[in-house]
Amino acid sequence: MASAGSQVAELASKLYDACVNEFDSDHLFYQNDFLNLKVIPKNDVALLLECTQSLVNQNLFRLLQKDGKLTWKLIDREDAEKLRNLTPDEAMVYNVIHSTERTGIWVRHIGNRTNLHKSILDRCLKALEGKNYIKSLHNVKYPSRKMYMLAGLAPSEEVTGGAWFTDGVLDANFINSVAGYIEYTVSRRSWFEVPASDRKNKRIKTASGKAEVKSDEKTYLPYPHGYAGYPTVAQITAAVNDSGITPVRLGEESVVQLLEMLCYDNKLVALGNGEWYRSLKSPEAVKAAQSRKAPIEGDDLSVANKHLVKNGMTEAPCGQCPVFKLCAPGGAVSPETCEYFDPWLSNGLGF
Amino acid sequence: MMSQCSAELCMLLIEDNFGELFARIFTVLQRYERLTLPRLKFYARLSDRQLHNGLSAMIQHHLIYHFTSLDDGNTYYEANPQAAYSLVRSGKILQLVESRLGEYAAQVLETIMNLGHSSIANLETLPELQSTKQRIPNGVNHGEEEIEENGGKEGDLAAPNGDHAVSEKPARLHPTLKSLASHGYIHRLREAHFQSPNDNWLDASRIISSRPDVKIMKGKQQAMEIEEKAKEMVKERTEGDLSRGLMYNGLPQGAKKKRDHGNKESNQPAPNGTNGVNGGHVDDEEEEENDWSEDEDGIDSMPMDSNLIIRVNYEKFDVALRNTRFLELAEQDAPSASIQIYECLLRRIEYQTARCRDSYEIPREGEEGEQYSAPIQLSSIVEDVDPDLDLTGCIGPMEPSTVLNRRGKRPLDDDTNGVNGDEHEDEPSGQNRAYEIDQHLSILSQPPLNLTTKHVISGLPTWRVAFRGLARKLRHLELERMIESRYGDVALRVIRVLHAKGKLDEKRLQEISLLPFKDLRQTLASMQTGGFVDLQEVPRDAQRQPSKTIYLWYYDPDRVCSSILEDTYKAMSRCLQRIKFERTRERDFLEKTERTDVKGHEEEFLSEAELEHLRNWKAKEALLLAEVSRLDDMVAVFRDY
Repeated sequence: MASAGSQVAELASKLYDACVNEFDSDHLFYQNDFLNLKVIPKNDVALLLECTQSLVNQNLFRLLQKDGKLTWKLIDREDAEKLRNLTPDEAMVYNVIHSTERTGIWVRHIGNRTNLHKSILDRCLKALEGKNYIKSLHNVKYPSRKMYMLAGLAPSEEVTGGAWFTDGVLDANFINSVAGYIEYTVSRRSWFEVPASDRKNKRIKTASGKAEVKSDEKTYLPYPHGYAGYPTVAQITAAVNDSGITPVRLGEESVVQLLEMLCYDNKLVALGNGEWYRSLKSPEAVKAAQSRKAPIEGDDLSVANKHLVKNGMTEAPCGQCPVFKLCAPGGAVSPETCEYFDPWLSNGLGF
Repeated sequence: MMSQCSAELCMLLIEDNFGELFARIFTVLQRYERLTLPRLKFYARLSDRQLHNGLSAMIQHHLIYHFTSLDDGNTYYEANPQAAYSLVRSGKILQLVESRLGEYAAQVLETIMNLGHSSIANLETLPELQSTKQRIPNGVNHGEEEIEENGGKEGDLAAPNGDHAVSEKPARLHPTLKSLASHGYIHRLREAHFQSPNDNWLDASRIISSRPDVKIMKGKQQAMEIEEKAKEMVKERTEGDLSRGLMYNGLPQGAKKKRDHGNKESNQPAPNGTNGVNGGHVDDEEEEENDWSEDEDGIDSMPMDSNLIIRVNYEKFDVALRNTRFLELAEQDAPSASIQIYECLLRRIEYQTARCRDSYEIPREGEEGEQYSAPIQLSSIVEDVDPDLDLTGCIGPMEPSTVLNRRGKRPLDDDTNGVNGDEHEDEPSGQNRAYEIDQHLSILSQPPLNLTTKHVISGLPTWRVAFRGLARKLRHLELERMIESRYGDVALRVIRVLHAKGKLDEKRLQEISLLPFKDLRQTLASMQTGGFVDLQEVPRDAQRQPSKTIYLWYYDPDRVCSSILEDTYKAMSRCLQRIKFERTRERDFLEKTERTDVKGHEEEFLSEAELEHLRNWKAKEALLLAEVSRLDDMVAVFRDY
């Protein structure tokens, strides 16, 4: 019996090694895969079953079911070592967490799947976390849920919300700095800068409107229609990553997300279905806008208003009147008693 | 149209322009819609004489439609809010005409406006149109014009001041009228113009449906036939176009000078650069004078039919004003040469566009098909563009890397351009120039504005403008400006995301707009109170528990537009009411300045302090009126374009 057991153990370890050598670590093994390895003498199915069972017991194989068939997956020897040091409850929890991979799992779902009592579950999680096998994570979609995943994995984009979230919170400063950088980079490549030597010439030639531009100001010209030199997403991504303003490398998807945001801000325009991007403002204007934005950023709308394009409604006192809806001739709020007109008039006449 | 706010505004405008009697009649008609004379008299509580005088004068001004029914023989009166509203736009229109056709043309048009409609024979007899120079220093005439504006009996105005002999007849009147007509700014008055569009329509469909060949048809076919034929009939009856036959090579009279004198204009330090067409009227008078004499030489001086009755064609002016708005859009970031080319294109298009759109109301967002302008051939744009306009200087090269080399290769070329630039240098071949102009138009066709669209007809490149899309852009721009000023640029981004993506829940909205939750919620909430965005609840179960409900934010530009339009009307009314109030505040002083002996001789009769006061008052009034006209720009965008 003992010899039979040791024979099985030997065979099993052979089988395991063969599997490691022949297949990827992610491979899903069916019975035939094992038989094809020709490790089991005479392809004895019963023997194979014994071997796999012993491997499963040693935590070197993970037993799975797919389409009603038994399947197996390899476990690293290191992981197996970890698992062997766990109590059965802990191992069960570990397996559940392991199965969700990079998305992580909510504590309540672990409870449902393992059927463990909450206090036991908590103890297991605490133990696992203490051993540094798992870590808790923050899901942007469900900020209130307590979730866990394996310590060695990086959470997926879905969970973190992409590069723009730090600990599940949108990192506004980071976004603004990267956005500003992108806008400027794109802008530099969307406008033709008239070389300094050429500039005097130009002045004479255009002769009209822009002639009185200060001489130290750079002149920018738009490129003709169909110009193919506008930056692509790949180029922009590379530029951002090379610039050193990001602590992590940004993927193209994250950059596209930001580019789209900039399009919604009417700063950039996507050309050719988002293949290229063009800036609407010349680099000078971008710089000016950015340096101006900085001090105002945030609350004081009335100061910011001075820079905006206006229309009749935003200028008229009625456009900003908080009680405009109540205003009626002869009413409590009326054009005759309006307190906004007088300051507005004197303000208007002051200029 | 007949909302409370717009009714109030129309009433104020009429009161301001024509006095209380008109306003009273108009308000009654607005409140009770169509009325017969006895009912009108009952509601308005006016004497017969007042009512008759008022009505006839208002009909003269097209403020009231009337319709005599064949069924009961009654004549119904109905308010014409469009005409009342266009009173506010008259200043803008006159400015436009003045910048395009000169001061005298503006004066002629103003006279026609003041008369409502007029026969040409009548215009010939008017003293103020005889000669500008005699009129201005003449105080009596000036006063008389005031009466005309405030009082109300335009019909018998022709009689007084007959001392200007009819013999020194309008040397300039007829060419001016012709050029106004060929621009489409005035048109022939038809009988149908006195009836409301609805009456015209009903009348036409009644006539069509009683025709024997239509009577035999049945059901849907008949209905369609009636609709189609009635449309034709109404069109035929209201057609007042005078430009046909007056156009010359696709250009209206008096317009050609633009090109001949284009050199001078474009060399002026770009008045166009800042203000668009309206800014163009910096032209000194001398130049205009020249243009006119030239016109008389060049174009046949056949007078117009003096029995013709004409009136102002406001629809056409909407087209012209809309084009100036497009031009302003272009000015945001296009090079100056492109803008001038664009102006030429728009001018050409204007001549071929009768009205801003075919449907009466602006169609709902998303249900609106594109409507293109008439295509303009590249070659005719090339003809119009000032030949000395520098086209190459303001576009970058196709491949920046090769620029250096190229410059190295042809220093000669560059030098000649640089040195002789001011003078006439070797004429660039027409082909080349066409290509460059095409390039400029292509720049304008780029997103986000897509100001032009290229269209190749049987091998010939033509350019046109997608009106509906651009009008929509103008609308959104106005809304965005308001949103930006009220809620900041964060809100602007949110609105644009919602507009592009439709309905979104908060999480998705955050992912796209990349805004922190706190900011996002705050702006959304404040915009919801302001009525700019709205929330839709989609319950996931029958209990409609809040926790199991999906909340979707959305932005409906149609709804926002219409509510903003009402607000704009209201704001305009408030400005006008404020003027009234300010006037009552200063009544004593103003009455003094308006005394007939003081008026026109203010310097003699008023003290220094009073003069200062008067100036202040005038500035104040001007400020408020300017605001009204700025608000009118918005109304035009939301309602007319």
